[in-house]
Amino acid sequence: MTSDAALLERLAPTAGVGARAERGRAFFDAHGLPDPKAEAWRYTPVTEIRAALEHAVPAPCGSTSSTVADRPLIDALAGSHGGPRLVFVDGLFSAELSDVEATPGGLWIGDAEALRPRRAPGAPAPQDEPADGFHALNWAAGSDVAAVLVDADTHLDVPVHVVHLSTAGSTTSAGPDATAGADATVTHPRTVVRVGAGSTAAVIESFVGTGGPSITNSSTRVVAAEGATVTYHRVMSEPAEAIHVGRTGIEQAAHSRVAATSVITDGRIVRNAVDVVLGGDGARSDLSGLYLPTDHQRHDNVVTVDHVASHGTSTQRFKGIVDDHGRGSFSGHVIVRHGTVGTDAAQSNPNLVLTPTAQADTRPWLEIFADDVRCTHGATVGRLDDDALFYLRSRGIPTAQARAMLIAAFAAEVVDSVTPESLRDHLSTWLHTRTVEVSS
Amino acid sequence: MLSISELTAVVDGKRILDGLDLEIAAGEVHAIMGPNGAGKSTLSNVLAGRDGYEVTGRVTLDGVDLLGLEPEQRAAAGLFLAFQYPTEIPGVGNMYFLRTALNAVRRERGEPEISAVEFLTLAKENMARLEMDPAFLSRSVNEGFSGGERKRNEILQMSLLQPRLAILDEIDSGLDIDALRIVANGVESLRSPDRAMLIITHYPRLLEYVRPDHVHVLTDGRITRSGDHTLALELEEHGYAPLTGSAR
Repeated sequence: MTSDAALLERLAPTAGVGARAERGRAFFDAHGLPDPKAEAWRYTPVTEIRAALEHAVPAPCGSTSSTVADRPLIDALAGSHGGPRLVFVDGLFSAELSDVEATPGGLWIGDAEALRPRRAPGAPAPQDEPADGFHALNWAAGSDVAAVLVDADTHLDVPVHVVHLSTAGSTTSAGPDATAGADATVTHPRTVVRVGAGSTAAVIESFVGTGGPSITNSSTRVVAAEGATVTYHRVMSEPAEAIHVGRTGIEQAAHSRVAATSVITDGRIVRNAVDVVLGGDGARSDLSGLYLPTDHQRHDNVVTVDHVASHGTSTQRFKGIVDDHGRGSFSGHVIVRHGTVGTDAAQSNPNLVLTPTAQADTRPWLEIFADDVRCTHGATVGRLDDDALFYLRSRGIPTAQARAMLIAAFAAEVVDSVTPESLRDHLSTWLHTRTVEVSS
Repeated sequence: MLSISELTAVVDGKRILDGLDLEIAAGEVHAIMGPNGAGKSTLSNVLAGRDGYEVTGRVTLDGVDLLGLEPEQRAAAGLFLAFQYPTEIPGVGNMYFLRTALNAVRRERGEPEISAVEFLTLAKENMARLEMDPAFLSRSVNEGFSGGERKRNEILQMSLLQPRLAILDEIDSGLDIDALRIVANGVESLRSPDRAMLIITHYPRLLEYVRPDHVHVLTDGRITRSGDHTLALELEEHGYAPLTGSAR
C-alpha cells in the first residue's frame, strides 16, 4: 500500500495553486485518507477506493474537450434544461460546450480563471478547512472550479446546469491492451453555488461519463444567504465502472430554504455525503435521495444536518432500491445544538430489496442537546408487494413490466418532486429503462 | 368454454379444494355459493394463477390448459378475476394501470394498442355507466378507495378488458344497497352470448340482481349440489347446514 504522502505526490504533483490548495495539502499531510474503520466511512469501501487511486492516472491536462465530447453527447447524458450551462470535461472547463453568454441579470457563472478578477482586493481570505481526506484531496489536486453566483434579490426562472464529464477510457491509450483492467483517470471537480439574500435559484449538477473506469472526487458547496430559496439537484450517473466520492456542503443563513435531491443512477462505488449547517434562525432544509445499486455496486449516502440555530426545520427522505448483489446504505445524522429551541427534524429511509443477495443498511443517528425538539425517524426494508404484483399480472401485464411499474411507483415520491420537468422526464426515462432491465 | 375436472388445491398441507368438477358454457352465468372456509376464494385464486397452492387436476378455457399458464397469460387467454379485496397500489396511477393492462391484453390478442386519447374516451364512457367520478382515473390504483369504489373499479376493469370468462369473487361484499345495484347493473350489462361468468358469493342478495343460469353449492372443497336460481332462495331460507351436515 502506498503511503498517503506518496498518494498526494502522485495525484497532486504540482504544489498548491492558491491558498485553498495549500490548506487541502496541509490537511491531507496531517490526516491522509479517512480511516476505513471510522464511523462515517463504515459503509464506504475506503480500502478499495484507495487501491483504485493508487493505480489512477490524473486526467490529461489541456486535452481539447471538443475531440471527446460534443453538445448532443452532453444533452443525451445529462439532459438539456434550457438554462445557462457550465461543462467540465475531465475536470477542465470547456468554453465550447458551455453556455455562459446569455445569463440573466443578477447571475454570474464561470470557471476559476473567469472568477479570479472578481475577487475583491483586500477581501479576507477564506479560512475554512476540509471535512475529510477526500475533501482535502479535492482542494489539493483539483484544477478548476465551477462557480454559480447569484446576487441578492434576484429571481431566476431557469436552472443553471453544471455538467462534469469523465472521458476515462477514451483519452488513455487507444490500443487494445488498454481496455481490460485499464487504470482509471481521476478528477477532482469543485463547484461553488452562492445565492444572495432574498434570491431564488436552482442548480442542477450532473456527473456523467463516456464509459470505462474513472474516479471522481467531487466537492460542492452551496451557500444560501438570508431568506434565499435554493433548489439543488445532484445527479450522479457515471458509468457502471466508475467510482465517485462526493461531498455537498450546504450552509444556510436565517430563513433560507434549500431543497436538495441526490440521485445515484449508476457507478461501482458511489459515496454521497450531504452536510448541512442550519446556521441562521428559521432555516429549512429538505433533503431527498434515490439510489439503485445493482450487480456488486455500493451506493452510500451519508447525510448530516446540524441544527446550530433555533427554529430550524429539516427533512431527510432517502429511498433505496437494491438489486442483485448491490448494497445501498443510508446514514442520517441529525445534530441539535445546545441552547437552540423549536427544531423540527424528520428522517425517513424506505428500502426496496429486490433479491435475497441485495443488502440495505440504514442507520439513524440523532444527537440532541436541546429540549424543545421534535425529531422523528423511520426506516423500512421491504420486498416488492406480492399482492400488488399478482394484481397487475392478473390484468395481463407481463411480470417484468409489472415489477417495473411497482419499482417506479416506489421511486415516484422522489422523482415526481424534481423540477424542472425536463429533469424529471430525464430521470423517469432512466428509471423506466433501468427498472425494465432489472426486472427481466 | 370453461371446463374444470378433478381440481384439488393444497395449501400448507391442508386440502382446500378436493376434486372439484364444473362445466360452464359460453353465455352462461353460474353462481357458486358456500359457507366460510368451503374453498370459494381458493377456487378463484387457483383459476387466476396465484402462487402458494399445490394444484392438481385439469382446467381448460376454450380448450387451452390454464394451469400451465402464468397469471398474465391467463388474462390474455380471456380470464378475468374481480378480486374480493382489490389491492391498493400507491404510486401507480389508475389510468396508467388501466391503459397498460388493456394494451397488454390487446397486444396478446394481436389488436393494435390504444392511444391515450382514445383510452380516455373509452374509460369515461364506462365510468359513466358505473356512476364513477372520472377523478378516480388520476388517483393511485385503489388507494384510499372505499369498499364500493374498489368494487366499481373492478367492474370498470372488466368492462375495459372484455374477458371471455369473468370470475366475480364476493363482488357484493361490503356494498350498501345502492352500490350493489350499480355494481350488479354493471355486471348485468356485460352479460353476453360470448362470455361466461362465475359469481362467487356468500349471500344470495346479489343473485336477485344478476340472475344465474345455474347455482352450485361448494362445501368441503367440492360441489355438493347444483340447481337453478331457486337453489339460491332455498339456501337463503335454510342456510348451508342441511348441506354440510353440521348442526349450524
